[in-house]
Amino acid sequence: MSHSSVLIVSDDTEFARTVAARWQAERRVPEITLTTSDVWQSSAAEGYNLVVVGPVRDNKISAILTALNSIPTSAAVYVSAEAKNVSHLAAEHPHVLIIPRDDGWIGTLILVAGEALRRAAAIARAQRAERISAEAQRNAVLGRYMLDMRPSVNNALTSVLGNADLLLLEPGQIHPDAREQIRTIHTMALRLHEIMQRFSSVAAEMRAGEKESQAETNSASQISPAGLAR
Amino acid sequence: MVLHLHFYLRVFLWRSAVPKKVLIVDDSQAELHLMQSMLQQGGFHSVGISDPTRIEEAIEEEHPNVILLDVVMPLRNGFQACRDLKSQQPYSSIPVILVTSKSAPSDRYWGEQQGANGYVSKPFTPDELLNAVKRFA
Repeated sequence: MSHSSVLIVSDDTEFARTVAARWQAERRVPEITLTTSDVWQSSAAEGYNLVVVGPVRDNKISAILTALNSIPTSAAVYVSAEAKNVSHLAAEHPHVLIIPRDDGWIGTLILVAGEALRRAAAIARAQRAERISAEAQRNAVLGRYMLDMRPSVNNALTSVLGNADLLLLEPGQIHPDAREQIRTIHTMALRLHEIMQRFSSVAAEMRAGEKESQAETNSASQISPAGLAR
Repeated sequence: MVLHLHFYLRVFLWRSAVPKKVLIVDDSQAELHLMQSMLQQGGFHSVGISDPTRIEEAIEEEHPNVILLDVVMPLRNGFQACRDLKSQQPYSSIPVILVTSKSAPSDRYWGEQQGANGYVSKPFTPDELLNAVKRFA
């Protein structure tokens, strides 16, 4: 599993230091990057699972929260020093979680951040599963196409191999060089046939495997609740 | 008694000398031509048709000893044609060999269920085709 990443944006070094130090005490410590409001750019936030905003210069907070509110890929938490502004900010930036900086704020922040990171990890897992599923579906379509095309390939090979066989059955009528070329065509067509046969064998093995797995699933699902209780 | 034996021997020799006739039904002209060439090499006389709806008509005209029947054909597939032939008294005794690119065991089983006497999978060698025909001709 990839490591979670957190960006802390704050002009108050004490805030950043406190949060980073508190996180070190947790079982799972994310990768933490510190930045100030001067250096911060909204585009950089997209690479992090969570952005924690601490005290920044007054004229910067609105721009930062507005930018974070528009980034749906990463979660954002703002630790607000002014408790009275919390409801107003929350209404204005619904995608940013606002925590008032009162007693126990750091515990709340770590708790909320942990949940946000778990959610981000779950989303990443779901996206990965979706990608794998899409790839499997693409491969299945290709496999089905190959299986559907097998009779057509066999038909074409029948003509190539059969006619080559017939030509090779008449010695003396064909120049030795041409005969050698026909033999090459014949050999290559046989190789294609072998490839198709291997493909068919793989398809048959996969079908057998699927049936076996299905049978196991069916027998497992037939275990009675009474049996489980024992 | 000697006369009888002599007569049967002559009939046997005459029948052996006459090439057996094979009716080939395949919608692909290339494959028809190929199978005809292979059968000719093996000493058989062959007649090819590419329209599977004309099989009965061709049998009436040509009186084949064996029928080679492709499976995947438009209008009437080989399985249907085989089933029809095997259910009609004048034609049911003629051996039918299915020649097909569908080589899965289930296809072969299904072919046997239609009453086919033999089954040749594509691609085949001249020997494979001739051996299949010789079993019945």
